[in-house]
Formats: sequence, structure tokens, C-alpha cells
Amino acid sequence: MTQTTDELIADALLQPAPLLPLLHRLHERDGYLSEEALRAVSKGLRTPLADLFGTVTFYHHFSREAGGLDALRVCTGPICRLNGAEQLVDALEGSTGMACSGRCDEPIPVLRGGQTLVGLRADALELRETPLPPAPPQGIEECVFAHIRDDDRKQLAGYRRTGGYQALEQAVTSMTPEALLDLIDASGLTGRGGAGFPTGRKWRAVRDASGGPKTVVCNADEGEPGCFKDRALMDHDPHGVLEGMALACIATGASRAFLYLRYEYPETEHVLLRAIEDAEAAGILGDDVFGSGQTVHLHLRRGAGAYICGEETSLLNSLEGKHPFPRNRPPYPVTHGFEGTPTAVNNVETLSSVAPIVLHGAEWYRGLGLGDHAGTKVISLSGDIERPGNYEVPMGLPLRTLLFEWAGGGRKGHEIQAVTMAGLSGGFLAGDDLDVTLDEPSIRSKRSFLGAGGIMVFDETRDMVDVAHSAMEFFAHESCGKCFPCRIGTQRLTERLAGSAGPTEPGAWLDEVADINRTMKETSACGLGHAAPLIAESLVRYFPAAVQNHIAHSSRSTGLDT
Amino acid sequence: MSDQTGLTLTLDGASVSFTKGESIFQVAERHGKEIPTLCYDDRLDAFGACRLCIVEVEGARAPVASCTTKAEPGMRVTTRSGALEMHRRVLLELVVSENREVDVDELSGYASQELTTLVDRYDARTGRFEGRISGTSRPDDPNPFILRDYANCISCYRCVRVCAEQEGDYAISIMNRGFDTQITTEFEGHLKESACTFCGQCVQTCPTGALGDIKALRHKAIEKPVEKTRSICPYCGVGCAVDIMTKGDQIVGIQPAMDGPANEGALCVKGQFAFDFVHHPDRLKTPFVRNDHGQLVPTTWEVALDKAAAGLLAAVNEHGRHSLYAVASGRAPNEAGYVMQKFVRAGLGTSYIDNCSRA
Repeated sequence: MTQTTDELIADALLQPAPLLPLLHRLHERDGYLSEEALRAVSKGLRTPLADLFGTVTFYHHFSREAGGLDALRVCTGPICRLNGAEQLVDALEGSTGMACSGRCDEPIPVLRGGQTLVGLRADALELRETPLPPAPPQGIEECVFAHIRDDDRKQLAGYRRTGGYQALEQAVTSMTPEALLDLIDASGLTGRGGAGFPTGRKWRAVRDASGGPKTVVCNADEGEPGCFKDRALMDHDPHGVLEGMALACIATGASRAFLYLRYEYPETEHVLLRAIEDAEAAGILGDDVFGSGQTVHLHLRRGAGAYICGEETSLLNSLEGKHPFPRNRPPYPVTHGFEGTPTAVNNVETLSSVAPIVLHGAEWYRGLGLGDHAGTKVISLSGDIERPGNYEVPMGLPLRTLLFEWAGGGRKGHEIQAVTMAGLSGGFLAGDDLDVTLDEPSIRSKRSFLGAGGIMVFDETRDMVDVAHSAMEFFAHESCGKCFPCRIGTQRLTERLAGSAGPTEPGAWLDEVADINRTMKETSACGLGHAAPLIAESLVRYFPAAVQNHIAHSSRSTGLDT
Repeated sequence: MSDQTGLTLTLDGASVSFTKGESIFQVAERHGKEIPTLCYDDRLDAFGACRLCIVEVEGARAPVASCTTKAEPGMRVTTRSGALEMHRRVLLELVVSENREVDVDELSGYASQELTTLVDRYDARTGRFEGRISGTSRPDDPNPFILRDYANCISCYRCVRVCAEQEGDYAISIMNRGFDTQITTEFEGHLKESACTFCGQCVQTCPTGALGDIKALRHKAIEKPVEKTRSICPYCGVGCAVDIMTKGDQIVGIQPAMDGPANEGALCVKGQFAFDFVHHPDRLKTPFVRNDHGQLVPTTWEVALDKAAAGLLAAVNEHGRHSLYAVASGRAPNEAGYVMQKFVRAGLGTSYIDNCSRA
């Protein structure tokens, strides 16, 4: 039976972080967020109506027009564009484009309400499961993907068959939190979402912080174009993520955790909810974890379309129902996180690594990396490559080994011209700079970074200025609008890469672009503004002739219509 | 290190003391450094949007916003350097590029000249970074007080923050993201249909004139300098300090005094916008009494007071002293208020006296 708005509000108020789930329930019930519903939410949650309205408009997937929820949304991310996404938008009546929705290994995803259709043509769209990661080469040992291809892995019984939840049981019955923290410290595990902060140190800071209750947040807002690893982990190994969250709770002293899932993964929500339910029914999660008397409650919260919510402080504001601008730091989330309490925010892949580390030991994990590098990293590989997909590589693996030996090299008869790093945020690597190894020090020495590990491949048939333009358009679309350099800078860079505004004289064009790049990198308030210029900067560095050609052939109309 | 005393940091090479909790910006301002900013209003929580107040802190990877960075003992801070000034100029050129115009009439509002002043200081009117203009103006909003000319908005959100933090009205908010950001009321309506009380604080904190004082701007064409006279708002007993703006003999507008001890820059709709009575042709300049035909006619104070006294006495005689109730005007000075209550209590013999600020 359809619930009334008042009933939904009353339900929501019984839960922590009620705003997003309430808005989703109304969005799903009515097919859009009506003025009437928002007025009721404002009253019920005692939040000012203007604020609520502004916050709703921040998320691009909340529709405010009748029928909006079910309108088709076609991924027009960088890889889907190469596969004809823009033509697909034209072919599908009433559809609109959306930013990369994390299925670059199997283009083109189309969202229809709560379903993801996949296909290259309007008449060939079908429901398909998220692709499994390709098998690794002989002799390569994996951490987070070790069992992901097992039958039944999604089910609790399948997960437990190969040691699932043993690490959690061990942690609550025969280990102290201190010993767990020591183990994670010793493993060298660092954040796999891109920032690379040592996980053990983060958890210890939360544990040692005064005040409470403490909170764990799993950042599953995988919004970076070209990244689709967390989708695979959650869809095919949901319990692995949940066990990691529970272990984080035990280590930090938190009794609750949120998983913040990006809007574009609707099926994943059901997979995770089912997994949480099963684990609670089995006494693994809930009020009495493995009979230890410890409480771990996991709450799922779904985003509504905003790349910036992958930034941890934006995510926290979003969870709290506030306008999702990034916060000023310090203070950091480890002391002032969710609702001002000590909070550990960790990426899906980071948390998925924890249970294997507890089971096999710190030395084992460290040893998975090459040379001095600890552990593994999942790389989402897509674009002009023979075998796209998620690859869990040893940290320090040469990029060329991944591209040519693991993934079969570029398309037949074509040369790899450039790759992106960190999805899009790391900009391009090309030429001799493809001789990097997959670890931060190596890639940072080329003025880029590994980040969340998305790598998109472009061969010589691709117009790199056009690729850079659509990348910058993405950053401009996703810039939150808080700090000036990013808000205006991403717009001006987009216009210059489109050729719709800016100088026509090459020297002046390059000066303007260099000045924007430098000021954005040095003065922006968060990572989006620091990273977005890398696209323009690396384009100019690797493809000077193409840039000169672009400036010479740009047509200016009024310059104001981009 | 104790909590309140003995804390020092190095500011442009000089050792200076500070209080725990102060931001670098506050310390620097106290020491006479003119750090540029557009999103800062010292009555509001530091926000860190415009990034003009960046300073170099030794050991930090990049410059930090001084408004949102707390001063720490031993910090070595540089407020001006070639790199900082270069970033500030680029930021200002970017801001200029997103606005329809930079020069707005000073009658627009208290802070309306902040952008143009900084643009001049940094010689940032270069025409670089041209492109689309941000913000959609709302000429459709029929309210008679607040101009909503968002083509000159720079998204510093001072208006939204002052409305929430100072006034507590939460009438306006931020719509959309990035370059498409727009100041809005709920559902993009007019201010009259929103929670707006027309206190005008948004107008007065706007650094670009995107929000303007419509009533003051009526007098834009008078070619005389604006003079400000400090006074107290005549409307109620709070005693808000105001600056009365005049051009010659004409009152052209009211601005709240940011240093007014009772209001700290706040006013209400009456104090802010209701000053037309001063020059109004209907304003009373002599007493009036009704003649035998019930018409009001001008007269002398003597006649008027006799008539009033007769009326009051008649009422007391007929209905008793408690038939009278007096309301003193909040616009009267203290002394007049005192005389009024004395007259009511001692003269009429009733304690039914109040003030219009409460009545």
C-alpha cells in the first residue's frame, strides 16, 4: 500500500540521517519531488524550505517534474561518448545525458528508474549484471578479488564457505581493538579511494578522539569517470564490504556505520540491503555481533547525483541533509565528522581489503606489492583496450605490463596515444611517460596521480582536444560552486577547450589557460579544483600541435553561448 | 602554552601575539594588514569561498585561506608575496569576467563598492577570461525594496549566510551547482512569497550591488555627493544605530551602522526602508483640529492643546480615569517618553501607559 507523506516522514524520523532516504521514498512514490512533498518534508524535518529546495536542486538526479524519475538517462561519460552515447541520447525519445555512471567496461548504461539497461543501440538495450573482473594472469595473487568469481559469493553461505566473516568473529572474540589497529598499521594499507592516507592511522585517530558516538562511513559514491571497481566489489562481493565496515567499527569503537552509495547504482542498493538483512538474521551484524555483546548497525544511504559527494566532507554534509559543499579543514572528520562526531570515512576497496588482511596477516598483504610497495590496487581499465575491466594489480606493476600483457594492448591495428590517470582527475599520460609503475610516487613524478585507479585508454584515432573538452565540461558540471577558482575556472577552461570563448591568438590563449590552471591548483578549496586543471595542463604538455590547431580553427560566435 | 596569553606567530617577519581561536585573517587585520576578501563579513562564520585572503604558511603545500585557518603558535605567515598577488589578480580577473558590470552606484548598499575597490587596487579590469556571465537577474520580482540583479552576483553567499546566521529568516538559499549557481527563494519565487522580512541585511552585505537598495537608487540621478549622518533609528526602543544618507537636503537612504552597539549592522524593514515620511508632502508641520463640520484645519499649539485637554477631561469625567489608555510613540526620544508617562500617571491618574514598540 502506498504510504502517505506523513507516514513516510514519521518513518524517516526514526532513523539517523533521514533526509536522503525520505526524499528517495517520495521520489520513487510520486515519480518526482513535488512542491507539496517538499513543503511537507520541510515542516516534518523542521528544515527551512528555501534551504531544502536549494539542496534538492544540488543533486542532478532528483527530478522536480512529473514523470522525471522514469525519464531515461544515458551515460555520456568519456568512454560511452567514444561508443556513440550522444547518438543514443538522440535516438531515445525524452532521454538526457548523464555524467559517467561507472560501467565503462561495458558501455553504454542507461538508467530507467531503478534499473540499469546496457547496450550500444536504442533497439538493443537489455538488463545485464555488472561484469566480473577478468581473471588475473597465472601466478598473481589477489586480495579483494581473490574469491569474487566464486559461485554463490553474493550469498551469505557462499561468502562464509571460504572464510567469510571469520575475520570479524576473530576480531570480536579473540582480539583487542588495539591488536586490530596494530595489524592494519603493519599491513601498510592506505586509502584506496585516492587520497592514500594510512588506514590504521585514521582509525586510531577516531578511536583516540574524545567525544562520541563514533561513526564509520563507507564511501561508495564512486563518481570518478572511468572508475567502476566499487560497483564490481559491491555487486559481486557485498559481504566483503560489509565485513570491512564492521571491522572498522570494532577497531574505532563505533557502533554504527553508513554506506553512502551513488545514485547510479540502483541494483547495488538491493544487493547490499539483502546482504545486511542476511548478516543481521545470522547474528553477524546487529546488537550482538557473534555473541560478543558488541553492536554494529549498518545503514545504507543513497546519493542523488553529485560527483562532489565523493569528497568526504561533502559526503558528510550530504548525509546530514545539508547543502553538500565541502567543509573547511581542519577540523578533520576523524574528530569532527558526521554530526560533529569522530568519523572514519573509508573507500569500498579499502574496507574490502581489511578482512583478508586479518585472515592472512599483515606480512601477506605487504608482500602482495612489488618492491617497497604494499598491497594491491584495483585498476578500472576502459576505452581503446582489448580487454577492459577491473584488474587487481600488485602495487608497483609497470603500466605497460597491465596494458599490453594483462589487457591485450590497444585495439588491433591502433596505437595507444594517451591514457588518463585517477579516472579523469589525474589528467593524461602519454609518450614516454607511459613508462610509469602503478604506484603514487612513480605517477606523481609525472605530475599526475593514481588516485582511485581509473585508467581510460585513447588511441591515435581520438581527438584529444575533444576528449579534454568533455572532461572539463564534466568538472564544470560537477563543481559545487563554493570556491571561486573552481566555479569560474572550470567554466572558462571548458569554453576555451570548446573554442567558444577566449583569445584567438595562441600566446594569449596559452597564457590564460596556464594562469587559470595555476590559480585553481594553488587556491581551490578541495580536490576537485586542485585536480581539474591537470586535464588542460597535460593536454598542452603532450599535444601542443593539436592545441595550436584547435586555437587556429576555433570559431567564435558571441563567445557567450557555451 | 597557556590558553589566552603568550601566544605568538610570525606575521610578515614580525612576531605578533594572538588569542586562541582567532583566524589568521583576524590576527592580520588587527595588525593593519590589508588582506583582500570578498566573501568575508566579520559578523558571519568564515566561509572560505573567494580565496582572495590566501596567505602563505611555512610548511604548507599551497597557500591557505586565512579566514578559515586558525592561528597556531609558531606559525610563519606571509600575507603578501609575488605569487599571492598574482593569484589574487587572476581571481579578480575571473570575477570581473562573470559579471555584467563591476561599477555600481554606491547607493546600492553598504558593501557595494568592495568589488570595484579591489578590482582597481589590483588593476584587474583587463578583459581577460571573457566568457559566459553567471547569474540570472530577477526584474520580475515586484518588491519595492530589494533589487535582485544577479547578473552581477559573484556567489559569495554573504546574502544567504546573513539571512540565516544574523537574521534567522532562512528566506534565500543556493540553487544548482558550479557556474549555474543561483541565489533563490523556495521554488524560485518572489521575495514577497518567501520567508523574507525585507530587513535589507542581504543588500547591505552584498559586495557587488547584485542586491541593491531600490529606494535609495531612486536618487541615483541627483548629482551631489552622498553624506552620511550617524543617528538612531526613530522607530522603536531598540536603538539601532543608522547612517542617514543625504544628497544636499534630500534624505536618499538609510544604512545600518555596522558598529552600532545595539544592532551590529542589523535593521528591520521599517528602519531600513521606511523613511519616505520625512520628505512626504502630507507630513504634518502644524497642529490640526476639527472644526464644527468635522474637517481638520490647521491651528496653533495653544488651541490644539486646549482642545485635547478638554476632550481628555470630558472622558475622565464621564467614564472615570481608567477609561484612558496612552501609547507613547517609539519614535519619540526618551525625554518625551518620560514626560508622557508622567503626564498619564500623575496628570490623568491611570497607569495605562505603553509604548508602540510593544503595543
